[in-house]
Amino acid sequence: MIKVVGLSVSLLMATIGSSAFAQANSEYYNDHYCTTCHGVDGIGNEEVSAPRLAGMEVWYLQRQLESFRAGIRGTHKMDLQGIEMRAMAEDLSDASIKDIVAWVGTWEFKPAPITFAGDAEAGKALYTACASCHGAQAQGNEAMGAPALAGQNDWYLATQLHNFKKAYRGRQPGDRFGSQMIVMASMLVDDTAIENIVSYINTLGR
Amino acid sequence: MSNSVSRREFMHLLGSTFGAGALVHMGAALSLMPNTATAASLSFAAPSPGKEKVLVLGAGISGLTVAWELTKAGYDCTVLEASNRAGGRVMTVRSGDVVDEIGNRQVCEWDDEPHMYFNAGAARIPSTHRNLLAYCKELGVELEMFINESKTAYVQDDAMMGGQRIRNGEMSTNVRGFLAELFAKSYTNAQLDEPFSDSESEKILGLISQFGDLNENMLYKGSYRAGYVSGGFLDHGVQKDMIAFKKLMQSQMLRLSFTANEGETGPMLMQPVGGMDGVIKGFTRALGEKVIYKAPVMGLTLKEGGVEVSYERDGVRQSIDADFCFNCIPSHLMSGIPNNFPSEYLQAMKYIRRGEAYKSAFQAKQRFWEDDDIYGGISWINAPIQQIWYPPHGIHKDKGIVLAAYNFGGGMHFTRMTQEQRVEAALAQGEKLHPNYREMVEKPITIAWHRMNHMLGCSGRWGNNGGDWSMETQSFFNRLQQATPGGRHYFIGDQMSYHGAWQESAIASAHWALADMDQRVRAQA
Ligand SMILES: Cc1cc2nc3c(=O)[nH]c(=O)nc-3n(C[C@H](O)[C@H](O)[C@H](O)COP(=O)(O)OP(=O)(O)OC[C@H]3O[C@@H](n4cnc5c(N)ncnc54)[C@H](O)[C@@H]3O)c2cc1C
Ligand code: HEC
Ligand code: HEC
Repeated sequence: MIKVVGLSVSLLMATIGSSAFAQANSEYYNDHYCTTCHGVDGIGNEEVSAPRLAGMEVWYLQRQLESFRAGIRGTHKMDLQGIEMRAMAEDLSDASIKDIVAWVGTWEFKPAPITFAGDAEAGKALYTACASCHGAQAQGNEAMGAPALAGQNDWYLATQLHNFKKAYRGRQPGDRFGSQMIVMASMLVDDTAIENIVSYINTLGR
Repeated sequence: MSNSVSRREFMHLLGSTFGAGALVHMGAALSLMPNTATAASLSFAAPSPGKEKVLVLGAGISGLTVAWELTKAGYDCTVLEASNRAGGRVMTVRSGDVVDEIGNRQVCEWDDEPHMYFNAGAARIPSTHRNLLAYCKELGVELEMFINESKTAYVQDDAMMGGQRIRNGEMSTNVRGFLAELFAKSYTNAQLDEPFSDSESEKILGLISQFGDLNENMLYKGSYRAGYVSGGFLDHGVQKDMIAFKKLMQSQMLRLSFTANEGETGPMLMQPVGGMDGVIKGFTRALGEKVIYKAPVMGLTLKEGGVEVSYERDGVRQSIDADFCFNCIPSHLMSGIPNNFPSEYLQAMKYIRRGEAYKSAFQAKQRFWEDDDIYGGISWINAPIQQIWYPPHGIHKDKGIVLAAYNFGGGMHFTRMTQEQRVEAALAQGEKLHPNYREMVEKPITIAWHRMNHMLGCSGRWGNNGGDWSMETQSFFNRLQQATPGGRHYFIGDQMSYHGAWQESAIASAHWALADMDQRVRAQA
């Protein structure tokens, strides 16, 4: 028995890409690449290191796509995960990004599964430095340009904090937003601090 | 004491001559060919009434195998495939095809002729892959020989002889000559566990001499087997000079002269006429409408007595119930699809690592290799492209498709490059094997399996490397191979075999799951 359970906005995606490819009708052209890596409806997929997109703020989503495209993210040769994402974003046109955001932005917020078991109490103390930008509940703050952290994959948050610390992210020319994180990440002195603060973020907004 | 060489010392000598690991490789080469059972003659019980609905997730060759076998047994099968094509890692690229690499989509613009194709994934069928060969026969897939080893193809290494290319046959003949001389010298005094009689010794020395083409003094001074510099038919042939072993041993490629064409990648292999996807088309012809394309699976729920799967088709999400489900979606993609697998399953799925294979190909404006006495086989180079393959099909036609790079293990080197960088690397390295390469080839196609849509990897890796199975690995494998509790869902594909990266392995996994299911069905009947 086949039952229809919902119409998908992915029809919109038919418009993405150059017309040369559209003519190659032997391959299906409607672009679902995001879900191949980021999982169905953007739930995230640890096995391919692609974080949850479901429920991401559209302003942040759009900025990251633009940052990857511009090489502000995903160009450091040690940033292996960022390089994977940049391959996707590099050739996107403004119109494609608009379409993608209109599609991906509809995915419902689903907090990612918890995989860390650090000391959330210790992390709470560390988090006080973050709240001014990311919000007390890690709900994000558009005015500060700081995204929500609550509900994001814990392993991904940890990768990013490492990336900021090692300057794989935040040091590229023109990275106005990422550069703000360099100092903040340097306050997390070791892996344990990162694990603890991420474990605390895991307790917020769920 | 005499200068006798014990077996252990000899193995030592070999080891130090060929570098650490050479012996392991030689040993591994022998066990590379797993003993495939006789082509399974399968017969499955007819479905129990009301329990005939089967869903296959992914039209990889393992999924198609299940669908075909269960269709024959009377089940009602549906295959859901995310891509526009069946076959997964069995992919043949021809004129007009799109290569769906994420961030590097390409359209193939080669001449539209039957022999102008490239097997971007699976390309070779060993004669011991009985189950795959049996399906080729059953489904009317015409096969022809694939030539893996050609003595006239080249070997090149910047570290050897100033980077000069030599023929494969020069490498192997000179190495054999050296080894034979060494054997002969050590034989007379060798302390063997079992002494040989004089006449036996004579035979052995004769064999050694023959093996290396030694002269009457049991010395190696070069051999016609390495090829002629000139003449041979109406003039006396001028033999090529011998190459001192010391020169050859500078190359990392040395071990290839012993291992590259052993076991499953023997000199003689097979391929379907017109492209490896002939096998897939054999299945899809037989299955007809049962395969639904562009239908990515979006969710999977194990239920009491069955499985519910949701998928998308033309932008509409639908769901479908089945009594049994066989799943060849790569495990690292399945973990991005909502499911209610038991936690020990999810844990086992996490354990498998993604492979990284990379291949590329060019259209050759002329079959320049044929002018160079090469008709098939592989040239080897100690550079990231590693290999150039010459098509054994389409002999003497105007053009052909050459494989321009094949990097199975460390494919990320090319994966992380732009298309332009990949092409330039292939040209610059290929030029070392064929000085006119750059002028001769055009229209590149590159395939980084790690970035291919709906695949994002090559064969799943269980151990750290090939044979390295810990107890932990084994227990994860066993867990994932079993049906989910209740016996309604099976993982299949070469990811569920001990021998990834072969179609035979994918088929074997399907047969294992089918046999298990059949046993359950019979027990309940
Ligand atoms: C470079 C390379 C060289 C190789 N050389 C050889 C060789 O010479 N000889 C040989 O025999 N084998 C070779 N192999 C191995 C062979 O190709 C594989 O072992 C075999 O094809 C694996 O089949 P499978 O059934 O496991 O499925 P796969 O081929 O992995 O297929 C999985 C299928 O699942 C589909 N899928 C993914 N996501 C979804 C979703 N959400 N919903 C629905 N469907 C989905 C995919 O599109 C795909 O069709 C090679 C492989 C590679 C990559
Ligand atoms: C080839 C796999 C792949 C594809 C396809 C892909 N992504 Fe990504 N994406 C990744 C990976 C891996 C990361 C993590 C990068 C990192 O760790 O820095 C990522 C990161 C991101 C981020 C940053 C998230 C954050 O919190 O900052 C966004 C946004 C994103 N992807 C959006 C998309 C969208 C939208 C698409 C489809 C148009 C897409 N991705 C397609 C692999 C992919
Ligand atoms: C001064 C404001 C500010 C403070 C304080 C701050 N952040 Fe950030 N943070 C940002 C901005 C802006 C970004 C977005 C960077 C971008 O757009 O690339 C960000 C991004 C991040 C990211 C990456 C999110 C993603 O989805 O990729 C993480 C993780 C993060 N911050 C954690 C923290 C933690 C932990 C702290 C406290 C130790 C902290 N931040 C303090 C401004 C701040």
